[in-house]
Amino acid sequence: LPGSPPDALPSTGPHSLRDMPHPLAGSSSEEAVGGDSTPSPDLLMARSFGDKDLILPNGGTPAGTSSPASSSSLLNRLQLDDDIDGETRDLFVIVDDPKKHVCTMETYITYRITTKSTRVEFDLPEYSVRRRYQDFDWLRSKLEESQPTHLIPPLPEKFVVKGVVDRFSEEFVETRRKALDKFLKRITDHPVLSFNEHFNIFLTAKDLNAYKKQGIALLTRMGESVKHVTGGYKLRTRPLEFAAIGDYLDTFALKLGTIDRIAQRIIKEEIEYLVELREYGPVYSTWSALEGELAEPLEGVSACIGNCSTALEELTDDMTEDFLPVLREYILYSDSMKSVLKKRDQVQAEYEAKLEAVALRKEDRPKVPADVEKCQDRMECFNADLKADMERWQNNKRQDFRQLLMGMADKNIQYYEKCLMAWESIIPLLQEKQEAK
Amino acid sequence: MEQAPLDPERQLQPAPLEPLGSPDAGLGAAVGKEAEGAGEESSGVDTMTHNNFWLKKIEISVSEAEKRTGRNAMNMQETYTAYLIETRSVEHTDGQSVLTDSLWRRYSEFELLRSYLLVYYPHIVVPPLPEKWAEFVWHKLSADNMDPDFVERRRIGLENFLLRIASHPILCRDKIFYLFLTQEGNWKETVNETGFQLKADSRLKALNATFRVKNPDKRFTDLKHYSDELQSVISHLLRVRARVADRLYGVYKVHGNYGRVFSEWSAIEKEMGDGLQSAGHHMDVYASSIDDILEDEEHYADQLKEYLFYAEALRAVCRKHELMQYDLEMAAQDLASKKQQCEELVTGTVRTFSLKGMTTKLFGQETPEQREARIKVLEEQINEGEQQLKSKNLEGREFVKNAWADIERFKEQKNRDLKEALISYAVMQISMCKKGIQVWTNAKECFSKM
Repeated sequence: LPGSPPDALPSTGPHSLRDMPHPLAGSSSEEAVGGDSTPSPDLLMARSFGDKDLILPNGGTPAGTSSPASSSSLLNRLQLDDDIDGETRDLFVIVDDPKKHVCTMETYITYRITTKSTRVEFDLPEYSVRRRYQDFDWLRSKLEESQPTHLIPPLPEKFVVKGVVDRFSEEFVETRRKALDKFLKRITDHPVLSFNEHFNIFLTAKDLNAYKKQGIALLTRMGESVKHVTGGYKLRTRPLEFAAIGDYLDTFALKLGTIDRIAQRIIKEEIEYLVELREYGPVYSTWSALEGELAEPLEGVSACIGNCSTALEELTDDMTEDFLPVLREYILYSDSMKSVLKKRDQVQAEYEAKLEAVALRKEDRPKVPADVEKCQDRMECFNADLKADMERWQNNKRQDFRQLLMGMADKNIQYYEKCLMAWESIIPLLQEKQEAK
Repeated sequence: MEQAPLDPERQLQPAPLEPLGSPDAGLGAAVGKEAEGAGEESSGVDTMTHNNFWLKKIEISVSEAEKRTGRNAMNMQETYTAYLIETRSVEHTDGQSVLTDSLWRRYSEFELLRSYLLVYYPHIVVPPLPEKWAEFVWHKLSADNMDPDFVERRRIGLENFLLRIASHPILCRDKIFYLFLTQEGNWKETVNETGFQLKADSRLKALNATFRVKNPDKRFTDLKHYSDELQSVISHLLRVRARVADRLYGVYKVHGNYGRVFSEWSAIEKEMGDGLQSAGHHMDVYASSIDDILEDEEHYADQLKEYLFYAEALRAVCRKHELMQYDLEMAAQDLASKKQQCEELVTGTVRTFSLKGMTTKLFGQETPEQREARIKVLEEQINEGEQQLKSKNLEGREFVKNAWADIERFKEQKNRDLKEALISYAVMQISMCKKGIQVWTNAKECFSKM
């Protein structure tokens, strides 16, 4: 919306001095900002972006941005290794401190997002804002929209699946918090997504709703381009590598689904086992009351079983809170990745169709029409971005699953160690000779 | 069949304290399959045969079980299991054992032996038999009497039963028991010839006594309550334990599914493949480990079951006391009423209602001769009654003394045995935990290589 001066917008976050409109300045805040970019006055954070693919609402493309190869994928590949090396990291995001808000119309939870960055895109070194789930949801859709050639991490499920779960319970909120934290960290780690405008605003804006209402479509050039790809064309052949990715994701999701079911079944059996244990232990206590010399040993066994029961409960809670959600996230991840694959197919299909159309026209024009070239460009960018993202995804997946499964093994080890300790500690009690009887 | 004179020393001294040879040599050597039961006294015992007072150390084992078919009393074909009982005598000089007797018996014969002992040793807490039918089973266990696992556990239980008798200071001397071990043919007839069935107290009589007895020894009343509660609590324990076993089985077995899915998943992975595959193998190991674990736990359950059944044996002794006490009370009452009748006749006063009094009123007074005759009869009866009462009293006190001595012995045995059982249960749990830690540690290592 041209013409609305920045100072008419509610204060949404700490502004650098540079952003404050000069009292004598006009409606445009351009003069207040350095740099050679031509930002729109609608942007709260007017600045230039590292990502040269940025499209601006006024339709013009910034100078010097017509590179055919996707620079984002170049960046992507360059920064692949950097993420593992924490030293080069210049952006840190944490989700914590959930709080319940009770309003007249609704009750909801907000989470505190703390951002620390040395990046030029951030005016301040540190930000702290509060966001609720629907804000995350909004961010994700914006990312999908504006970065369609990239794999966007999944969010935890919006609605509580088993209706009995209390969405304000500590366990649920904590599980969700962890998932949201993971979501933002995955974006942070991504060399392209982390520079996304919406992401930046999400992390820094004081009043996100106002920004949302403005309905700014900060589409990248690719985003804009892909948005208009029609789905009507049929793909001839999928390139082998993308076919392989598709097959992989299908099987992967299937296996994860099976693992999810097994894990759930194990938890169910463990809970039923726990129920019986909770009846079993006290019977020894009842027996102990009847006895003389055996009273202490029996009571000891009862207490021991009680301790094992507690340990088991901790195991099932941990598995429910830490293991299952991560599995589900990966299932959602692979679903969204398949959509991206499909979109890529559409882009390729359109290109091939147009190319064919040109060939059929049987004209001697050696030059390929501009729009076909655009299609080709689009396809090649998409392929490059997707390939790079898949590689990164595979790496992360490997680490995530290694951690997840090691965690599962760890939890089981801890459970057995607790039980072992309990039983070992009563052996001396059981062996004790009662002298004075 | 005679009740051997009670040797107070023998009553209090359980078999393992025998100076002759080491009890462990006896337990270890010839007791082929696990002769555990409740892990208590050894199989080495002192036995005095009916005519032979020469102390001989013997070992008893129920070493085999065999399926047989035969014809039953109604001439119908039936299948049953026969058990081989082997008796060995041990030379205490060199510890070598020599097989002296070997015969086959079936469960019903064991039952017969026990029924006999119950009648002739009512003051003894008679060791119980292993269960006739499988109870407290969890789903994997068979309730079928012919199932090999059940038969095996029963074999051990029967061996334990014999060992318990053999190590009891009084029961071990019983001739019928001796013959059970040594005389294959005709043993049933021999037992029946003792006429023990006729001597058995009817259940109805016992029940009646329980309700009507006025002054039982308080210790027996308390013991009765104890045994009722013990029975109840152990039953409960066994039921819940069976459910626990069931659930535990489920938990372990479901993990086996990880094995398959990890294997399938590893097929589509490059670097992660090996780690997943080998971890899957460990999950299979984990899943299959539960079978042995639960089999071991069945031994624990059997130990508890023995004491569940022992509670019934305790009750039997209490019932006998109640019966004797009631008998005594009835005899005393009867005597008192006769004395009173006599007094009335002598003094001529009629204080109590009597049929004689009524008939006298109706049909006229009796003659002095008739009255004298009646008094004389009564006096005789009173005399007899007083004798009987005296001997019943004595009997009753003897019973109480002897029974209580055996009950004390039993209590010591029970405390020892159950403590051992609890220890071995704890050891089982510890072993299970260690196995669990091992498997998951192995799996974790595989995951770390992913």
